[in-house]
Amino acid sequence: MNCSDVRDALESYIADDLTDAESARLAAHLAECDGCAAEYEHTREVVSRLAGLADAFVPRERYVPRPAYVPRPAGGWGWRIAAVAASVIAILAVGAMSVPAIARQLPLPLAREIDALEDQNATLREQVDELTVRLETIDGEEVAIVDSSEGDLPPEENAAVQRLAMDFIRAQYAGDADALAAMGTERLRADLAARPQDYLREGGEGLAFAQMTEAALAEDGTYLIFVRLTDGADWSESQYQENFEIKRVGDTYLVDVMGMDA
Amino acid sequence: MEDQELVARALAGDTRSFTTLVRRHERSLYATAYAITRSQWDAADAVQDALAEAYVNLKSLRDPARFGAWVSRIVINTCNTALRRRGRVLPMEEPPEPQAFVWDGPEDGIDLMRAIQTLSPDHREVIALRYFRDLKVADIAEVLGTPAGTVKSRINRALAALQAALGRTGQEVSR
Repeated sequence: MNCSDVRDALESYIADDLTDAESARLAAHLAECDGCAAEYEHTREVVSRLAGLADAFVPRERYVPRPAYVPRPAGGWGWRIAAVAASVIAILAVGAMSVPAIARQLPLPLAREIDALEDQNATLREQVDELTVRLETIDGEEVAIVDSSEGDLPPEENAAVQRLAMDFIRAQYAGDADALAAMGTERLRADLAARPQDYLREGGEGLAFAQMTEAALAEDGTYLIFVRLTDGADWSESQYQENFEIKRVGDTYLVDVMGMDA
Repeated sequence: MEDQELVARALAGDTRSFTTLVRRHERSLYATAYAITRSQWDAADAVQDALAEAYVNLKSLRDPARFGAWVSRIVINTCNTALRRRGRVLPMEEPPEPQAFVWDGPEDGIDLMRAIQTLSPDHREVIALRYFRDLKVADIAEVLGTPAGTVKSRINRALAALQAALGRTGQEVSR
C-alpha cells in the first residue's frame, strides 16, 4: 500500500468500511509514515466534528402528517361548521398558539410558540381577541374553553358533552377499545371495529387538552364539539384536533362520529 | 423500533408511526437541505415538501429498511426544485443567526457549517449525505445515480476542501 492508496482509503478506514485485511495493511502503513499519520489525524478530527452536526438543527416548523383516514358524516362537516362555529374553527385550525392572553396562563410551553408567531399574526390576534376564551376546570383538568357565539346550551348539557369528549380521548390514549365502544353509538362501534387504528393511541402520559369549544347543537339534534390536544412531551411536536358528533339517547350522551384534523 | 417496522405500521394507517419516522430523520434532513440550498427558508420548504411527498408515496418504497436513503433522494429532489425556482426570484439575504431553526449544538458547529457552505455544490451534497444522513458510499451512489468510485473520491476531495476552508476561516482543524 503506497501513500496515495492510503490517502484514498483513509475515510473508509475511519468509517470502518474496509475489510479486516485492508484495515490491518493501512494501520501498518500509518505506523511507519508520519505524513499519512498526520493526514489521518486531520481527517479523523474533521469527520468526528461532522458526525454530530446534523443533530444540532431543530427546525421551527415541524411536519405533521394528516391522518390517512378522517371519518366524515354524510354531507360532510362543512355546512355544520359553517352553521355552528365558523369563527371558532378558524381559530382552531391555526392552533392554540394564537390565543395570547389566556394561553400564557396555561401550564404548557405555549409561550414559545406564541413568541414566534406574535409579530406575524396581528390581524389574526384581533379576531381571536373578539372571542371569549376562559380557563375552566373540567374533571380536575384546566382547559381553555372557546366560546362560540351560538353555544348557548343549558350548562348541564354542555358539561356532559364536554366531559364525554374528554373521557373518550382519555380512553383512546389508554388504548381501551371496550371503554370507547361503551361511549359510542352503534355507528361509532362499527367504525371502531373496522378501523381500530384510527381510534387507539399510545403515549397517554404526554396527553394534554389545549382548547375545547362549547358544545353546539345542530338542527338535527347532534351536538358538535371540537377539542385541540397535544400528546407529545414537546408541545410543538404533536398537536391534533378531534371533532366530535355526539347524540343524546335518553339521558345518555354517546359519540356518533369522531374525526381528526392535524 | 426500526425504520422498517415504523414504515410497515404507517402503511397500515398508523399516522403516529410516520410522525415518529419524521422526528427521527427531520434534523439530518434539514441539515442536508440547508447544506445544499444554503438558505434556511428554502431548506425548511424543501424538507416540508419532501416529507409530504414521502407520506403520500410511502407505498412506493419497495424496501422499507431503506427508508433513510429513499427519503434522502426525495429531499435532494425538492432541494434541486428549490434551487431552480430561486434562479427566478431575488434570494432573501441569510440572517447572521439561525432563524428558521433552533441551533441545539456547540458554537463551533456553526463555524463548521459556514465552512461547509463555502464548498462546491457537489462537495456539499456528498458531505451532507455521508455525515448528516449517515449513508454508506453505496447508498449515496444510488441516491445520486453516480458510480461508487466517483462518490468515494468526491468525499475525499470534499474533506480536503473542508479542511482547507476551516484553515482559511482561522479554525483549528484539530481540537
